[in-house]
Amino acid sequence: MPNWFKLTKAVLLAGGLMTSVAHAEETVTWWDFFGGGDGVRMKQLVADFNEAHKGKIKIDATTLEWGTPFYSKVQTSAAVGEAPDIMTYHASRIPLAVKQGILQEITADDWKTMGLGRSDYAPATWEAVSIDGKQYAVPLDTHPIVLYYNKDLLKKAGVLGDDGKPKGMDSRENFTATLKALKAAGVKFPLGSVTADGNFMFRTVYSFMGQQDGELMTDGEFLAGDSAKKLENSLAVLSEWTKEGLQSTYTDYPATVALFTSGEAAMMINGVWEVPTMTDLKNNGKLFEWGAVELPVIFDHPSTYADSHTFALPANKGEEMSPEKRAAVLEVMSWMSKNSLFWATAGHIPAYGPVTNSAEYKAMEPNHTYSSLTANIIFDPKTPLAGIAGPIFDVMSNFFVPTLNGEMEPAKAVEEIKAGLAEL
Amino acid sequence: MLRNRRNEGLFGLALVAPFVAIYGLVFVYPTIKLFMTSFTDAPLIGDGNFVGFDNYARLPSDRRFGTAVWNTAYFVLITVVPGTLLAFAIALGVNRLAGRLQAAVLALFFLPYILPVSVVYLLWDWTLNFQFGIAMYLFDMLGIARIPVFKSTAWFMPAVGMITIWWTAGFSILLFLAGLRTIPTEIYEAAALDNAGRWSTFRRITWPLMWPITALVLTIQLISQLKIFDQVYLFSVGGRPNDNMVLVYYVFQRAFQSDQGGRAAAVAVVLFVIVIVVSVLNFQLTRLSGGRDR
Repeated sequence: MPNWFKLTKAVLLAGGLMTSVAHAEETVTWWDFFGGGDGVRMKQLVADFNEAHKGKIKIDATTLEWGTPFYSKVQTSAAVGEAPDIMTYHASRIPLAVKQGILQEITADDWKTMGLGRSDYAPATWEAVSIDGKQYAVPLDTHPIVLYYNKDLLKKAGVLGDDGKPKGMDSRENFTATLKALKAAGVKFPLGSVTADGNFMFRTVYSFMGQQDGELMTDGEFLAGDSAKKLENSLAVLSEWTKEGLQSTYTDYPATVALFTSGEAAMMINGVWEVPTMTDLKNNGKLFEWGAVELPVIFDHPSTYADSHTFALPANKGEEMSPEKRAAVLEVMSWMSKNSLFWATAGHIPAYGPVTNSAEYKAMEPNHTYSSLTANIIFDPKTPLAGIAGPIFDVMSNFFVPTLNGEMEPAKAVEEIKAGLAEL
Repeated sequence: MLRNRRNEGLFGLALVAPFVAIYGLVFVYPTIKLFMTSFTDAPLIGDGNFVGFDNYARLPSDRRFGTAVWNTAYFVLITVVPGTLLAFAIALGVNRLAGRLQAAVLALFFLPYILPVSVVYLLWDWTLNFQFGIAMYLFDMLGIARIPVFKSTAWFMPAVGMITIWWTAGFSILLFLAGLRTIPTEIYEAAALDNAGRWSTFRRITWPLMWPITALVLTIQLISQLKIFDQVYLFSVGGRPNDNMVLVYYVFQRAFQSDQGGRAAAVAVVLFVIVIVVSVLNFQLTRLSGGRDR
């Protein structure tokens, strides 16, 4: 009998110890979708956070496949209470998530606890995480597309300006002339474009639409009024470049980056998240002189499409978040926002104002060069149909690929897109 | 020995109970739920309102559904019969080999079958990628224009069909080989004594005796190809998904991307019915036509 007693006591004691350890250190499960050069930076940030909060909070991070796989998993896991404590989320996907009820609101008290608030963000960024006046995520960054260029090749073709930027950035004619000069100088692809991936080209096409003040959705109607014509104009420019052999055809995402970094493509329109790829290659002595600038003005005025990475809290069905856990998660979001200067080395433009206003940020290159575009950013239309891997992406993508590779006329594509969007 | 019927029945019931329970939980119950969901406007998560046959009524005029039906049928057409015949031919060849060599060759043919679909996708993307695929350099050397295999609608299905046959033939070959080994050698000896040629031996002996296996392989192939999804999804992601649409992909798109569980369920029900009808029909037809020779 005494043995039994001892044993029970020992078990109870061990159990008690374990709970007290768990209380001391709160583990926060975390999902993100950063797989590229920015993934390395995010892992570093997570490690730094864990180091700074040793014994108090520990982030247990998992990186999942970007896009459709990530969002499919989030939707279903939240429904059965298996979602993480915190996850990264695209602002463009928030309308759908809120409709599905899979996100928790970030309340006014939460913002206060985090020491963050509306005044810390650009109005468009704040608006992108708000639905009916309530916030559902904490913005981390905005990530637009930019024009990367190979200074060596541009100089050889005589199209590198004295300011170190490409010539002809102010109009369609001049930019096409720059591309032609590169072609004449023997460059295989003056412009590397992700022409095999309509999902990606959405960013470029939508930017060009924005340069004409075109709208994808006006009061719930797709491509209303002359917006359809503006979409056609945008597609026409890109398909013209293809027809004249100025742009790489049927090129998927990794191939585009490879064409640029190997010097076969002199310029490339791609996301700022490729900045670390270039920086790292350059540091290893494997890259030419390069730069990145805001997209050329092909139509009326500068405009660039961007999305925003945010932090969101899944509404785990049937599982209430404990106050301790919530405090830990808020600390994670607050810390990440305030330390997002390092995130800028991943190319992204931090959303937290005090960081982008700092002298350190202003000294960063090429970030500072392209940061002018923040004034001209357009986001996705706010509808559950929009966003990364959303249905609008699919419909448009389907007709972008044939159009951008010269198989289909832009007018026909717009007609098909309108019909496709009407069927959603 | 005397047996207690009642006890035995109970014992049998107890033995199958675990299976019946799991089968009911993961198949029967979800299937019933699927039918019920297909009559509602439910989103992906949660319940919806009853809408009667609305989800079905809109299918005939739904262009993407039309594309999906057509592509699925096309895919079945180019993979099921050619894939089965090819596997049969390879099995006949492998059967002529003996000993270690046979095992080695069989292993070579079977190897692709054990690869996960993602690996199959990567292998073939490296081969056929428009900018960097190995095959494209071959095309350049031969002076043929490069073909964007997975980005053009004309090439997509044939290419994915070919890859699927390459990937899955190993299993069919194994079935055929097992079948070939059950044919007694005496029959072939007797035929040889009767001076039967190679062709008539095949036509009069091998083919009819192998018919049950062929019918089985055809049915397995038919069902699995009707449910094609993985390859089509992987090869068309980002590209032209709506032109390469197949039925399971459409179910996925409606449910997970458009958040329309009810409409997705309706498409799934249609596919369910098609699979049942076609496979029963196929099995009956192959059985009947096989019986004719006997």
